Amino acid sequence: MKRFSIGTAVVTAFAVLTLVGCNGGGGDKAPADGGKPGTGGKTAAAKFTIGMSQCNLGEPWRVQMNKDIEEAAKAHPEINIIYRDASNKSESQQAQVREFIQQRVNLIIISPKESRPLTKPVEEAMDLGIPVIVLDRAIEGDKYSCFIGGDNVKIGRELGKFMVKALGGKGNVIELKGLQTSVPGKDRHNGFMEGIKGSQIKIIFDADCQWLEPNAQKEMASALSRFPQIDAVYGHNDPSAHGAYQATVQEGKGREKTIKFFGVDALPTEGVKYVKDGVLTATFQYPTGGKEAIDAAILLLNKMSPDKKIVLGTKVFNKDTVAKGGEAL
Amino acid sequence: MSTTPDDSELIGNVEKQDWRQWLKGLDNYRGLFAFGIVFLLGCLFTPKAFDTHLPVFISWRTQLDILFEYCEYGLLATGMTLVILTGGIDLSVGSVLGLSATLFSLLTIGYGWGIASASVVVLVTGLIAGTISGVLIARFRMQPFVATLAMMTAARGAAKLISGGIKVQPAAMPWYKLQQDTPEFFRWMTKSLPGIGLKPASLLFIICILVIAVIVAKTVYGRKIYAVGGNEQAALLSGINVANIKVKTYALCALFAALAGIVNACRQDIGDPEAGATYELDAIAAVVIGGTSLSGGEGNMLFTVVGVLIIAYINKILSLNAIQIAPRMIIQACIIAAAVLIQRRKRGVS
Repeated sequence: MKRFSIGTAVVTAFAVLTLVGCNGGGGDKAPADGGKPGTGGKTAAAKFTIGMSQCNLGEPWRVQMNKDIEEAAKAHPEINIIYRDASNKSESQQAQVREFIQQRVNLIIISPKESRPLTKPVEEAMDLGIPVIVLDRAIEGDKYSCFIGGDNVKIGRELGKFMVKALGGKGNVIELKGLQTSVPGKDRHNGFMEGIKGSQIKIIFDADCQWLEPNAQKEMASALSRFPQIDAVYGHNDPSAHGAYQATVQEGKGREKTIKFFGVDALPTEGVKYVKDGVLTATFQYPTGGKEAIDAAILLLNKMSPDKKIVLGTKVFNKDTVAKGGEAL
Repeated sequence: MSTTPDDSELIGNVEKQDWRQWLKGLDNYRGLFAFGIVFLLGCLFTPKAFDTHLPVFISWRTQLDILFEYCEYGLLATGMTLVILTGGIDLSVGSVLGLSATLFSLLTIGYGWGIASASVVVLVTGLIAGTISGVLIARFRMQPFVATLAMMTAARGAAKLISGGIKVQPAAMPWYKLQQDTPEFFRWMTKSLPGIGLKPASLLFIICILVIAVIVAKTVYGRKIYAVGGNEQAALLSGINVANIKVKTYALCALFAALAGIVNACRQDIGDPEAGATYELDAIAAVVIGGTSLSGGEGNMLFTVVGVLIIAYINKILSLNAIQIAPRMIIQACIIAAAVLIQRRKRGVS
């Protein structure tokens, strides 16, 4: 019989553990708050509850998106937002949408991991009269309230044009690409090609670095050993550009002083900081749409309709504009 | 623990005997007991709906959602139980699921096949994969861990190979037959049936586990599985074709993984070659939590149902309460350990 009591003890211990965990996570006062900073404390006054499902909080850009939403929501005491992280699993995100429906939230904001798997759950919510705002990646069909996303082609194009000016119309460029099987990766490349059209800029080396800094660093090291004359590097995201810079520094020939590095995304903690530090010549913002999502949510909650599709512009941060928060393009 | 009762227990009167008898009978239901506790926790820590203020966890719809969200794991665990009963393990089920989901989507979306013919091809592919593992283990005396590890890698590779490394969905390739939408069947599988609200995908899991429960409990094949898992040497000496039983079992296990793959394609509305990665671990965990012994020969399908439900409900409770991923993983680990401790039975005591 001894084992039985040990088992019971373990269960009790676990019960207490869960209890503590759940209370830390908001308990019944602030339902499903999850203990995320800045989300609680408004439940009493809040008239509307918004469920926000983020596909992966392991990515800094998506952390920034949540921050932007949180920041924008501060101006609206009537809304309370519950945040969920799907940890990069479509299954979890599907479940989260269903749970939001079950909890009768007034509106859902979702930044989907994958378009198809999330289409049906979003349709279910819409069928039940819960408006859904889709951020960054679209879903199939048109059963959603509002889509907000950036324009990677435009970003690539603007960066291209900027580089043409910065290099005086000609030069040898290394392109460190994002995942080329992904739409943003392709768009950032195609846009760039449009931007440098007609100039004498030549892409002498390119590699698919899959958005990853270590890959970019390795590829750049290969490029450096092959080409004596490199004028600029285009990283499809800031970490890639930063990785390229690191590789150049490590080469030990001081070439980081002559090569110009360009990146995309312009997160405050990454790209913008790199520009301030003089690592990058410029970075182009890929906006998260967090603020715009809250604007659209307020409209929808007050029974008004925002534009069905909102395409966000971009901002350039270089040494002249970084202090004043970038320049809109 | 100790098999010799201490003095106070020796003196025990009749009443105490009764109590002990009752507790011994209860022993078999420790899994259910653990599940009861989990369910109770769910009831205690449920968030309330924002308009009606009714607890979300206790609603019928949440129960159906849980069943739906875990039907793939359930199907995998069904097959896994058979393998574990023989004293083996199958690490390849997650990859076979991925291969099947990709193949099913490719045949229906890419080549425009009918659902029936595509299903048959997918299930046969599963059977073949399982048979290969089984033959490697039974005829070539490979360790189940190693043989199914090889199959795990091979099936994942095959999934990526046939899809060309992309996710199979309408218009993913210009030559795909379906350019607009996935077949109606995909939607049907994930839509509530009128009346009960159960979805066909969940129903499939329930039917499968019932059928297998009957097979395991009532047929000669079922009894032979226990014999092989309990003592392989003894089974061999008593004239059981151990190799044959093993091959059949691994084939069945992969068949269920293939079924789960079809369900996965319908649920995700996409044929993802990466689908099912690490699912095998959840399936094994479900079987073990239920109370089936990893050393084989001990356990049954009811245990597995309970194990799947325990995992599913724990995850639902954590998800409903929006517990952050880091503490969630630690809580999950504690719960798995606790659940196994609760239902661990006194071995070596007759």
